[in-house]
Amino acid sequence: MIHLDRGKINMTRRKKYSALLLCGALSAGLLAGCGSNNDSSAGDNGAGDEQVTLRMIESLTSPKRTELLQASIDKFETANPNIKVELISPPFDQADNKIRTMLGAKEDLDVVEVRDLTVAEFVNNGFIEPLNDYADKWSDYSTVSAISKSLGSVGDKLYFVPNGLYERQLFYRADWFKEKGLNPPATWDELYETAKKLTDPSKNRYGFSFRGGAGSNGTTDAMVLAYNGDNVNLEDSMFTKDGKTIFSTPEAKASMELYLKLYKDASPPDSVNWGFQEQVQAFTSGVTGMLLQDPDVIQSLQEKMAEGTWATAPLQAGPTGKALLAAGGAGWGMAANSEHKEEAWKLISFLSSPAENTEFSKAYGLIPIHTSAAEDEFFKTGPYKTLLDMSNAPDKFVNFKPPFEYPGTGQWGQVEMESGQALLLGQASLDDTLKKWDEYWTDQKSKLGK
Amino acid sequence: MKNQKIFILSGLIPALLLVLAFTYYPFLRGIIMAFQDYKLFDLRHVRFVGFDNFKAAFHDPKFLVALKNSGYWVFFSLIFQFVLGLSLALLLKKPFRGRGIFQGFAFYSWALSGFLIGMIWKWMFNSQIGVINDLLLRVGIIHERIGFLSNPKWAMTSVIIANVWYGIAFFAIMLLAALQSVPSELYEAADMDGATGIRKLWNVTLPYILPTIIATTLLRAIWIFNDPTIIYGLTNGGPAGSTHILSSLMLDKIIYAGDYGAASAIGVIMIVLLLLYTIFFLTVTKAEKVGDF
Repeated sequence: MIHLDRGKINMTRRKKYSALLLCGALSAGLLAGCGSNNDSSAGDNGAGDEQVTLRMIESLTSPKRTELLQASIDKFETANPNIKVELISPPFDQADNKIRTMLGAKEDLDVVEVRDLTVAEFVNNGFIEPLNDYADKWSDYSTVSAISKSLGSVGDKLYFVPNGLYERQLFYRADWFKEKGLNPPATWDELYETAKKLTDPSKNRYGFSFRGGAGSNGTTDAMVLAYNGDNVNLEDSMFTKDGKTIFSTPEAKASMELYLKLYKDASPPDSVNWGFQEQVQAFTSGVTGMLLQDPDVIQSLQEKMAEGTWATAPLQAGPTGKALLAAGGAGWGMAANSEHKEEAWKLISFLSSPAENTEFSKAYGLIPIHTSAAEDEFFKTGPYKTLLDMSNAPDKFVNFKPPFEYPGTGQWGQVEMESGQALLLGQASLDDTLKKWDEYWTDQKSKLGK
Repeated sequence: MKNQKIFILSGLIPALLLVLAFTYYPFLRGIIMAFQDYKLFDLRHVRFVGFDNFKAAFHDPKFLVALKNSGYWVFFSLIFQFVLGLSLALLLKKPFRGRGIFQGFAFYSWALSGFLIGMIWKWMFNSQIGVINDLLLRVGIIHERIGFLSNPKWAMTSVIIANVWYGIAFFAIMLLAALQSVPSELYEAADMDGATGIRKLWNVTLPYILPTIIATTLLRAIWIFNDPTIIYGLTNGGPAGSTHILSSLMLDKIIYAGDYGAASAIGVIMIVLLLLYTIFFLTVTKAEKVGDF
């Protein structure tokens, strides 16, 4: 009995020690996890035969896009056996926050997907590296379109090489237009008149796929810009050439009066709170006759709608005959604290090469960044043709630089949406609304110290 | 004895560290941020600004609307979730054929994520292509489409309906478990005294499950108050900010403005409100809990 008891005691003691050990190990592991991992892999930034692992993160994630990217990366790895690429694909909704957090915590990242909406913030916080020195030595850089370069730059420095451009155009129901003998509208005024003719609430049919919810500033900004026309400072597009905001002019008021009419007379009443999905869904399900969208919807229109029922037309112009057009998008940038900058640039320039970029753009529905891609038959026909037509008429479709360098550019969508909804619902007057927008951008300018 | 103490303490360390690192540190950091000018756009100029974020919140009409909406949101969601959840639990108490399957169907809403529920109801409430308008029109209850999410008069009601649908299952599950624990002797005694259905419910069932009712409503109210996901998915606070509650407004400040200072200030205000609510609720219900039984 005594023996047994002693055995028992021994057991408990041993258990106790192993438990203690386990606890210690756990705590140590926890502490290590909290610490930074900056010091790892410090000495291996020389190229050569040494194995290098690049960490790359994407922002505009979707399953299809990740697959396309991975395919490109596989090709890159085959061509560069000493470089391995680890692709991180956070879900789209959280991607930018994840990227911010990782960059802020100085985690190992080499290639980062930077968006037009985030570039100013990343530059401001010193998260990403200017690419000019690399790009100057890059043979394919000469064919990168001016608009792509402008998109990826802040000031005179290039911070990312875009991986494709988004540009707005009009999608319309060709069958409805034919039925009523209508032509695609060339101006905003015509768009309103056409939309009104297509509207028949008793049949639950409306002319325009209005978007009053998230992203509504896409429409209001486009209209105000088109109406201000030549007076807009193209490099600082929320302002006119004499330094006032574009919302302070009589032209702005005229454009917004039309905007209100467009909603009241020719759009579904529910659309005051519609975002991207509802807007596109209403068009594909036959509730609305016209939709203003980027080329990335082309694939879902092709899937959901019968061929011949829809077609595309260029973006609408203002009373002076000019439409102001901007390209949006994202691209590949380099983390400022990357340990493998040469290899990172190798990957960026590979992904951005004419061959890779054109293939990616075709597969995902984007405008390629190289001017040479315009020779491709794919972009000369079908729904992409209008985009090419627009870039071939730069006098009528004038490119402007969106105000991405302002800190408030991310919040502008939300500010515009809420005050715009109040305007549409009759809770605020047009003058007060425009004054609010004018004040917002005046304030932005003073904060930027321009 | 001393060894024993060291042993216990060292055993607690991992748990303690976890809680410190993942609960109290973010909590404290959030409170500190509420007093800072902390904007994502400019992390190099983070500084203390005293009560500026709080002042800005109380001067913001959106905040005041959200505060009022939070009240409606919690009150009406909770009342309807509770009443309907209790009714469901009472119906499911007696065994019947296929009860298990029926329970599964009735409770499944609780397993969905709030954001997903927001998306589902967004499409159902859509006035042009939504199923609810379509049904009401066909049945002839309405003759014009209703903008459930676009008309500010309807929007708050609509998000509350979605939330009630979501939360009924929670009360049904919790209360059903409590109901099944009521000893049958109590009902037998009540029968002997000649009590009817309603009377048995009022004098036997409810008093017996009162502790569960108190615990669940207290918890649920806090969850409802804190949960922005349904609103975020359904209306994103719109139209014109008319459906924001405090937690969705806080999220809005983070996602669209990157303003962690303003968002943290709203968070701190929420903590204070919840603290007051909990103290009030517990004081009020304490006496009854002991008294009636």
